Amino acid sequence: MSRTLRSFAVIGVALVVFGPLGLIIYQSFLSEAFFSPTASLSLGAYRYVLTDSGFHSAFGTSLLVSLGMTLISVPLGSLLAFLLVRTDLPGKKFLEPWLLVPIFLSPVVLAFGYVVAVGPVGFFSLWTKALIGRVPWNLYSLYGMILIAGLEAARVAGAGPWRIAATVSLPLVLPSILFSAALIFLLGFELFGLPLVLGDPAGLLVLTTYLYKLTNLLGVPSYHLMAVVALSIVALTFPLVYAQRRMLRTAGRFAVIGGKGQAFRPLPLGALRWPAVAIVLLWLVVTVLLPLIGVALRSVVSQWGEGIKLFDVLTLDHFRELKGYPNLVRGIVNTLLIGSIGGALSVVFYAIIGLAAHRWQSRWVSFLDYLVMLPRALPGLIVGLAFLWVFLFFKPIAPLRTTLFSLWIAYTVVWLAYGLRLISAALLQVKPELEEAARVTGAGQGTVYRDVTLPLIRFGLIGSWLLVFMMFVREYSTGVYLLGPGTEVIGSLIVSLWGTGALDLISALSVIEVALVGLILFIALRLGVRLDA
Amino acid sequence: MPDLIVENIEKQLGTAQILCGVSFELQQGEVLALLGASGSGKTTLLRSVAGLERPDKGKIEIRGKVVFDAATGFEIPAEQCGLGLVFQSYAIWPHRSVFENVAYGLRLRRVPDAEIRQRVGDVLARLGLGHLADRYAHQLSGGQQQRVALARAIVYNPPVLLLDEPLSNLDAKLREDARAWVRELIKQIGNSALYVTHDQTEALAIADRVLLLDRGQIQQDGTPQEIYGRPTSQFAAEFMGSNNRFDGKIAEISANRARLENHGWSLWGKLRGNKEPGAPGTGLIRVERVRLADGGGENHLKMQLKSALYLGERWEYVLQLGELRLRVWGEEGRAPGECWVAIPQEEFWIF
Repeated sequence: MSRTLRSFAVIGVALVVFGPLGLIIYQSFLSEAFFSPTASLSLGAYRYVLTDSGFHSAFGTSLLVSLGMTLISVPLGSLLAFLLVRTDLPGKKFLEPWLLVPIFLSPVVLAFGYVVAVGPVGFFSLWTKALIGRVPWNLYSLYGMILIAGLEAARVAGAGPWRIAATVSLPLVLPSILFSAALIFLLGFELFGLPLVLGDPAGLLVLTTYLYKLTNLLGVPSYHLMAVVALSIVALTFPLVYAQRRMLRTAGRFAVIGGKGQAFRPLPLGALRWPAVAIVLLWLVVTVLLPLIGVALRSVVSQWGEGIKLFDVLTLDHFRELKGYPNLVRGIVNTLLIGSIGGALSVVFYAIIGLAAHRWQSRWVSFLDYLVMLPRALPGLIVGLAFLWVFLFFKPIAPLRTTLFSLWIAYTVVWLAYGLRLISAALLQVKPELEEAARVTGAGQGTVYRDVTLPLIRFGLIGSWLLVFMMFVREYSTGVYLLGPGTEVIGSLIVSLWGTGALDLISALSVIEVALVGLILFIALRLGVRLDA
Repeated sequence: MPDLIVENIEKQLGTAQILCGVSFELQQGEVLALLGASGSGKTTLLRSVAGLERPDKGKIEIRGKVVFDAATGFEIPAEQCGLGLVFQSYAIWPHRSVFENVAYGLRLRRVPDAEIRQRVGDVLARLGLGHLADRYAHQLSGGQQQRVALARAIVYNPPVLLLDEPLSNLDAKLREDARAWVRELIKQIGNSALYVTHDQTEALAIADRVLLLDRGQIQQDGTPQEIYGRPTSQFAAEFMGSNNRFDGKIAEISANRARLENHGWSLWGKLRGNKEPGAPGTGLIRVERVRLADGGGENHLKMQLKSALYLGERWEYVLQLGELRLRVWGEEGRAPGECWVAIPQEEFWIF
């Protein structure tokens, strides 16, 4: 039983990770798309991409965005973490769950929210203009994009110091701050929704949006070029993931010193209390409230522009309009299906891998560890693209491409590391004697899993399912290339609608997505699920 | 046929040699204590017997059936050995009631429901847990959890019962009571048991035989009386009880006796081990064997009484003679001053 499980885990993960990655590498060395009968081995794609000035500028922009957002989010995130964990900030208990919200919001929805809230003709821009005669900001610029990316990433950047700060003294937080910096820098290269929505009007392309635009560049599918761009992104992200892993070991060593539940006195902020609260609230307003209000307002107005009074244009028509588009209705249903059932199946898959590695002393465990790490270097967009190719390439599974299965497997791979972290956190809580007691009593390994391990982590599994549910609902980039009749989901529909400028529909879909996430978040919080796993 | 035969078990963890060739036999109905300090390898040995740890070398037989043999690479998984194990932390499954914890071993053995009810009921009643069958671990006291752990381990009549420091999580009073009833229980059910402990009083009280373990090796194997009263090594002598220690030089040897001396004193005692005259030696005597004497005599020392400490059930005197310091127990308080100490030759071991 345990042998079957372990073989399944290693082979399964190796297949879903190496399969797509291998196909991208293979495709990058072809002269044309792999299905073309005249495709031959060639370095032409590399030559084309690496000498393309568009690629160079996208590369430069990506680098700037990554650096900029790291510089903004790491100090800000650390400050937020410090305020919330180590000080007597008023209203901490109330603020904390709210600070986690940005993680569960779709970047493409947020970006859209910024456009309709503070874009050139956004609600707040026009209201400001009415007040002071001009709009003192420009969202559609490299700096606007970097600022927003940095602000949004602050919570993620603070996550490491957040956890460590609670247990050890401040100087020891440094390694975890460095770790966060590497993480944010990595995320910078994987940004897609934000640059797609905010960079587009200004003609700014980053690597991911360059890849996305490449799709339609030559009329025929330019898969070989896309493969090279995808690999160039992986070439940047992989070393970062690897470096992060090295750092995590060091950071972990420090975390252990603190032990558990060490009491510490919160630092009194004194007169700085209210400015501190103001900073946290301001950050919440800018990163959550502003874009969400934008989206919500946009979804209930028939039109918007200069000289229009809000109360004259209120309407619920956009939500009614959705019914007229079968693909959008399917998208909403599919989003629910992929989140609930798909999320549950993914948690089962993660649990199988988690259990396989659980108390297994073998070289295969570290192999598995590395395998799981790999997808972290693969942005959702690329994983989606790779799976599209997998389904086109391997004829026997081709029919699955137009079903939710294709989407599900891509999602599962994209969130592999996240899901496994949730599972292993749950498994860590199971004391080894509880399992050993069952073995000695007469239960084989499989029976131990069934009778002891799984029942003991059942709440952890439900929590993981809810978290994965939210991540799957907010996911948008992975489904972009797999989008087709039968595989529509809200996230990727928003991306494709953005190209057509259908703001009414986008806003209505966004509101539905946010409401869904909000509902699950509410349930998760009520059940006491730890959101910052 | 012994219930358990352990032959030459070796185990290395990382670079540390945890067990260096341990062998022993456990007879039917016998309670054997594995006694040792932390790091002596006793828990690893127990876990090896339980099948939870895989030794590098050696062979283990349970009731004549080989369950592990490093030479042939043969190994029966833990779940098929059928042993009963009581963990130090009790390891009660928190998601099962007391009844279901105890019944689990029988369910795995596909015992019919009616019989399970009866057997579990019997065991719970015998351990005074009858009224707690529907409770969960978090609703039980430490002592009750410990009984559940025992009930769970004995309900399916394992050939050998393994206990890993089962009393060490109980508070002192409970532990003293538990010693007595755990031994009674094991004797009643007639099981053979392997009992790991670092507490010598517990080992002496509960076991029929004690294996004294140090750094992965058996230092002595004997009845509690032998282990305490006739230690075969200096380690064994010093490990047990409270001792007075005399460091000196062997001055004279005659038959199995030797004379140990140092500045200002010279004492006869039983020679243990091979020594030549002139070699450095160590004399050991249990504190309770030393007595204050009325006057001089053979093996008597004239010492300075430095202080008398009141310990409740007795007094402890601290005596000094040059660099030699002794502890002696007595019945009454005494003022500091000179006094005589008797060191009985038969009880004074020279290593």
